[in-house]
Amino acid sequence: MGVAQRSRRWLVPVTAVAVVAGVGALGPVVADASPKLPGISAQDLLAKVQTAKVDGLSGTVRSDADLGLPAIPGAPAGSEQLTEMLSGQHTARVAFASPDKARVSVLDNQAERVWTTDGKSAWAYDSSRREAVKLTVPEHKTTKPEKAVPSYDPQAVAKQFLDAIDPTTKVEVSGTEKVAGRDAYKLRLVPKTDKTTVGSVTLAIDSKTWVPLDVTVMPRTGNDPAVEVGFSSVSFDVPAASTFTFTPPQGVKVTDKKVPSQDRPKRVAPKQVEPKQTKPGTAKADEPTVIGEGWESVAMIRGAQTGQLTGNGPLAQLLAKAPTVSGTWGTGKVLTSKMVSALITDDGRVFVGLVTPDTLQAAAAKAPR
Amino acid sequence: MSPNEATAEPTEALVAGQRPSAGRHTLALFLSELRLVFGRARTQVGLGVLAAVPLLIGIAVRIAGSDSGAEGFIGQIAGNGLFLIVASLGLSLPFFLPTAVTVISGESLAGEASLGTLRNLLTAPAGRSRLLAAKMVALAIFCLAATMTIWISGLIVGFILFPVGDVLLLSGSTVSLGEGLLRALGIAVVISLSLLGLAGIGLFVSSLTSTPLAAMAATFGTFIVLGILTAIPQLHAIHPWLLIYRWQSFADLLRDPPYWHEIGRNLLLQGGYLVVFYAAAWARITSRDIT
Repeated sequence: MGVAQRSRRWLVPVTAVAVVAGVGALGPVVADASPKLPGISAQDLLAKVQTAKVDGLSGTVRSDADLGLPAIPGAPAGSEQLTEMLSGQHTARVAFASPDKARVSVLDNQAERVWTTDGKSAWAYDSSRREAVKLTVPEHKTTKPEKAVPSYDPQAVAKQFLDAIDPTTKVEVSGTEKVAGRDAYKLRLVPKTDKTTVGSVTLAIDSKTWVPLDVTVMPRTGNDPAVEVGFSSVSFDVPAASTFTFTPPQGVKVTDKKVPSQDRPKRVAPKQVEPKQTKPGTAKADEPTVIGEGWESVAMIRGAQTGQLTGNGPLAQLLAKAPTVSGTWGTGKVLTSKMVSALITDDGRVFVGLVTPDTLQAAAAKAPR
Repeated sequence: MSPNEATAEPTEALVAGQRPSAGRHTLALFLSELRLVFGRARTQVGLGVLAAVPLLIGIAVRIAGSDSGAEGFIGQIAGNGLFLIVASLGLSLPFFLPTAVTVISGESLAGEASLGTLRNLLTAPAGRSRLLAAKMVALAIFCLAATMTIWISGLIVGFILFPVGDVLLLSGSTVSLGEGLLRALGIAVVISLSLLGLAGIGLFVSSLTSTPLAAMAATFGTFIVLGILTAIPQLHAIHPWLLIYRWQSFADLLRDPPYWHEIGRNLLLQGGYLVVFYAAAWARITSRDIT
């Protein structure tokens, strides 16, 4: 066997590397080729979305958020679920049946958190703590995001909506794509202002049921989505009623809770990762004031727990590194990330928005003291 | 060469000896390779250590009592002995099982080389590919034997030390004990398949050197480096390509219904690693000079 012939054998593993890497990297791309669908205008598409009505669905939702938020170690309890959902990847199984049955189970690493309701009672179950909470739901129908009330003209509403956002946003049908194996239209919203950090928001809308299947938020800079939430698999068959029932297993601590108000804490995965949220640690502050409108909206929260900001807490350490800015509104620290900017003034006001730091300062100047 | 020299290694005796029909020959080669792997004292000691894992965990949980407040599978052992199997498998996965696979795979070709028996094996060119296949199959069977050892040991210890009954799944629903055992068996199989990528790396490294210890050290070093890379969040772009990134997905079998996506991705990745490193080991072993 000659040297050349022998070294040729190494082509086999090299080819193997190429094939494995190629399949791994390009496989998903090929599968996501854009399907051919008849053209549709943005207004027609929006009208169709409003008429969307499904009797039931089940599927797997994946969310991937990268807001560039700094990790805050030891953030106050209660905010951890919020910050957790705003970062990293999550997978949830969702099921819905008309009119009032729903189930969401978030698949954590070797654990699962389940929220389910069969219309009469609601359960929350956490497998890592083996605790279940039962909520008794008052007798009334809850509203569903999937459920549209067909007592108005969808076309008119679509036109109204488009007219209303026209000064700030460009709306277009930007093509088609395959989501969870279904053909979908892409509806893209692009802010006209450059004061926001949002580059575009894209909705993938199923071409048969007109249900939104995927939401992608792109930042103004960079090519990676800041937030992507969507179905990785979906079925529009009505799930069995047993899907929504929950029998507390043995050895699980059960807590009963009555719900006095009409609003029941219900989590609907496709809608819940909404980046415009208050900063952790300010949950107990009073209601936020919104300054500006459209994409340039800035939320102002008064009476933040400034005690936490001085001293030696993790948040204080984070702030110590942040640049100090000042203006007619006073002085404060600016925290920026890919998507969210925050301005924390010395007098305890917090300005947060999906905007550039300059816009935050302009908003602070306009803000009531 | 003379078959008389080859008494130390059954594999060699077969390759060097007369050939029966190809099928019988291959089977005999595989069986003798299995005897070689499982006849080694270090293999038996390794399996013994793995069998001791459920015993240690079981005794620890028994002493700590049911109110230890542990989360996850360990916290469920006191209520249901079946979870001793799952917890033991889960706890062995990051360290004990890879160590065992590293030792056995590092030994496989380099061990023969250090004894001088590989030279004889390689002089029969038609047998090289088959020899490698026999080594790989023996490694795969060892991976399965390792997880099954934990499964059986966990079953025995769990049933002796703790009450057993219907099994609470992660999704909050309950299945019968029989189905629970079946799911635990599925976990053992999935974990043994998860080890195949590492076994492939070990086989390749083992073909490069004639010092078994060097092969083991290099394989284990690779495993550690992959572990460190997986732990660095800034490298998340390459994480899906890393061997151990989806190892923890075995727990998805305990959901209702089982969630196959991550397990499938993990097994595909293991298959990819196995194909690449097996091909590299093949290229190395078939082009190797006989010196």
